[in-house]
Amino acid sequence: MSIIKKIGKQDLGKLLEEWKQGFKVLAPSRESGAAAFTEWNGKDASFTDWYRNTVTPPKSILLPLVEKMFSYTKNEEGYKLETPPPDEKKQLVFGIRPCDAKAFNLLDMTFKDDYQDPYYLNRRQNIILVGLSCKDPYACCFCTSLGSSPSDSSGMDIMLTDIKDGFLVESVSKIGEELMQNTKSLLEATDDDKAEAENNRQAAIQKISRKIDVKGISEKLRQCFDDESFWQDIAAKCVSCGICTLLCPTCYCFDINDEVTAEGGARYRSPDSCSFSVYTKMPVENPRSEKWKRVRNRVCHKYQVYPTLFNEIACTGCGRCIRLCPVNWDITQTLESLPSSEVKDAK
Amino acid sequence: MPNNNKDFLAEGNAYLPHIAVIEKIIEETPDTRTFHFNFKDEKLKKEFGFESGQFGEYSVFGVGEATFCISSSPTRKDHLEFAVKRVGKVTEALHRLPVGAEIGFRGPFGNSFPLEELKGKNLVFVAGGIGLAPLRSLIWNAIDNRKDYKNIDIIYGARSPQDLCFDYDLEAWQKDKSLNAVITIDREDKNWKGKVGFVPQVLEQAAPSAKDSVAIVCGPPVMIRFTFPVLDKLGFTPQQMITTLEKRMKCGIGKCGRCNIGDVYVCKDGPVFSYAQIKGFVSSEY
Amino acid sequence: MIKENNCNKLIEEAKNLLKQGKVQRIIGFEKGSLRFTVTPLITSDTDAAERLVINPFIVNNLSNFLTGLKGKTAIVAKGCDSRSIVSLIQDNKVKREDVVILGIPCNGIIDLAKVEKLTGIDKDKIDNISLNGDKVLVSFNGGKKEFATTEVLFDNCLACDMPTPTEYDVLIGEAIKPKPPVSQDKLNELKEKLPAERWLYWQEQFSHCIRCYACRSVCPACFCTRCFAEENKPQWLSPTPHWQDNLLFQITRSIHLAGRCTDCGECERACPVNIPLRSLTKEMYDIVDDVFDYKAGTDKEDAPLMASYESEEAEDLFL
Repeated sequence: MSIIKKIGKQDLGKLLEEWKQGFKVLAPSRESGAAAFTEWNGKDASFTDWYRNTVTPPKSILLPLVEKMFSYTKNEEGYKLETPPPDEKKQLVFGIRPCDAKAFNLLDMTFKDDYQDPYYLNRRQNIILVGLSCKDPYACCFCTSLGSSPSDSSGMDIMLTDIKDGFLVESVSKIGEELMQNTKSLLEATDDDKAEAENNRQAAIQKISRKIDVKGISEKLRQCFDDESFWQDIAAKCVSCGICTLLCPTCYCFDINDEVTAEGGARYRSPDSCSFSVYTKMPVENPRSEKWKRVRNRVCHKYQVYPTLFNEIACTGCGRCIRLCPVNWDITQTLESLPSSEVKDAK
Repeated sequence: MPNNNKDFLAEGNAYLPHIAVIEKIIEETPDTRTFHFNFKDEKLKKEFGFESGQFGEYSVFGVGEATFCISSSPTRKDHLEFAVKRVGKVTEALHRLPVGAEIGFRGPFGNSFPLEELKGKNLVFVAGGIGLAPLRSLIWNAIDNRKDYKNIDIIYGARSPQDLCFDYDLEAWQKDKSLNAVITIDREDKNWKGKVGFVPQVLEQAAPSAKDSVAIVCGPPVMIRFTFPVLDKLGFTPQQMITTLEKRMKCGIGKCGRCNIGDVYVCKDGPVFSYAQIKGFVSSEY
Repeated sequence: MIKENNCNKLIEEAKNLLKQGKVQRIIGFEKGSLRFTVTPLITSDTDAAERLVINPFIVNNLSNFLTGLKGKTAIVAKGCDSRSIVSLIQDNKVKREDVVILGIPCNGIIDLAKVEKLTGIDKDKIDNISLNGDKVLVSFNGGKKEFATTEVLFDNCLACDMPTPTEYDVLIGEAIKPKPPVSQDKLNELKEKLPAERWLYWQEQFSHCIRCYACRSVCPACFCTRCFAEENKPQWLSPTPHWQDNLLFQITRSIHLAGRCTDCGECERACPVNIPLRSLTKEMYDIVDDVFDYKAGTDKEDAPLMASYESEEAEDLFL
């Protein structure tokens, strides 16, 4: 039985302050030039006035830009490696949208599969996701086509929904329930509040204007995989930067590099992109030196490979790739224009 | 078959290398070296185990990591071996290391040659250049368990006599009456009295029987692409052709995304694949 | 502002070039999948050429797509873009006879980020943006607001002194007389800071850089097949996005572009985390102008600036 409460807009700061006592609270902010999740400054909670979604997705909380895997020193006895101590502090991500929360579940599939990734997992188990359902989807959003919605609570521990002068606050997971039971700032929600929230949620779903049909997409991609002229056409205007992949909440490819420091050195992990021409480069050959192969790989990895491995499309329809691409390359257009097998047979 | 061996992870962390010490360096060719090494930790040194075909991620701390198969046989455990061709930053750094230097090792990763399916069969090893390294582990493995296999044919070639690797193995195999080793070089050379011809052509001439046989192939991509059609001509089915693929790798454990061919990760589902599997890849980019 | 009525002339030119086999492909702009957005159109199909547009949002520097293309290409180029093409010709990346330049005289492109800031409304909620003389009319929320063009054009458009393409085969529209450049407050503000302050400023800015390399990917002058940032023998900088390596990348890139950068502004526009990259590249551009009296892409017969040396040149640049 989930707990349902509410919080007034003017008390949001108080709520975050209360949670700040037990967690590092991360909330949307525009201070760095582009909207991102940063440590809440403890002063104002007015970000809900402008916040729709961030530029940098919250995956960077689990997969940071710079992750030290280990450092090393060397003396007469040889090398000594040291992994950084795991971060014990619990983090609370406030305001995460359904697309980004669901993405966490998709990332888990890779990082919890087979070999355990201790860096990711340590942070993952210390995170609480307090989501905020969308009242104002972007024109580029297409979450409803991918089994999600502006009010999908998958992956969240608590979900907030906009109501007049505040938010309805509902627990989603056991952890969310526990947290809400121990939160004093929350107020009782009336039946009217609950009904209003539900209306708002339905209204938001109606606002999603971008829709694609992903039925059988995995098979369609498998079939047109070798259609070079199709992919050449699709990839023509792509400039092979890394924006779509680095800002995608479900992309996780990373690079590992060593550095030498005054004390010895360290090995770092950082996000990487399959869009880069050097991504698969070997001394002998580069299987994806051509741009159209990289574009094909990216689309297929999300819509054909992940479904084959984990039964889920690795995309939550957040639309960042569409609104941030410098040439407006649009994955929904690509998916809608896949050559179908009937057409191929007719030739 | 995939490998889920997690017995040898340092502190349970698959990204953390073990410290190993180089014990011997053999200069196979001007740009290829074999390194013999052992783990610094005595317990790990004793307990470490792997299967032919598996690889490790070897670190030169401060420079980087690179992927190499374990080229020694699991039946000869006094030390471990890997072979390195000098082609880039990390391999160059490895080549500059002296005996006694410390390196990092993560592994063993990847799947292995399907020994159970090979038992009782004729083995035809086809290799070129440094491609002999992963096969070498299996060849010595088979020789050490000789009665488990029927005929063993080895066809190995390189560009020139100087480019032949593992001279000491070639000598031993040519002397071994229980197997048939043919060594060839691509073009005539005044210092060479043996066979001359490209490996696929020599294979065709040798014409090993496909009945109850398995061919294990490894070498430069161009050699592999010409070898498969020859094997096909000789009557080998795609299931009877096995190879080991090479891709750019970083994590080695199927997480960083780099080595995928469609929905197959070379580091986890490979690097050993049959040609039948390769033909079924959704992607032709192998 | 770019006049939209010349679109038909452009479409006709493009279709004729394709039909007569004079070019293998055309590169221009078509309507994008988001409001007030255009996207590059690269096609050899005459029917697809019908989709070409000219409007106040055609921001991309299409010359970026020229390097490595085989055969002949017709390309739509604004003032700054045509200079990039000339720069590529100087660098031998493109042959003059392989391009048919469809020049678009341009008085400036509307920066949607500025419109969003001024109206407080995200672009997907804006109903219409239209031109009214030298004013820009923005309709939203059932109302309208008017802005001077100087308030909503891109910064580099405000600094532009070559609105008419310097090199073209066909001019689509009337040549435009250059207007005096508007002062660059952001750059001047930065120049007034002390070096130590500036260093902290850049440290903060580049701690956000995610090394997407979009700045490099959209830049026509960044055409190296293997960028120095991807070199590992020697390793000039770490691929890991430490702020120091990020800043080093951008400073080095700006220096590499000296004499090639035409201040098209694409790098700054493309940056997803809004790092003010033009503060570095425009500074380089101004230094090149001051020291060498040179602006990139004005004369295709010029040798590349950094590859030419006259013995009479001042030597105060050398340490």
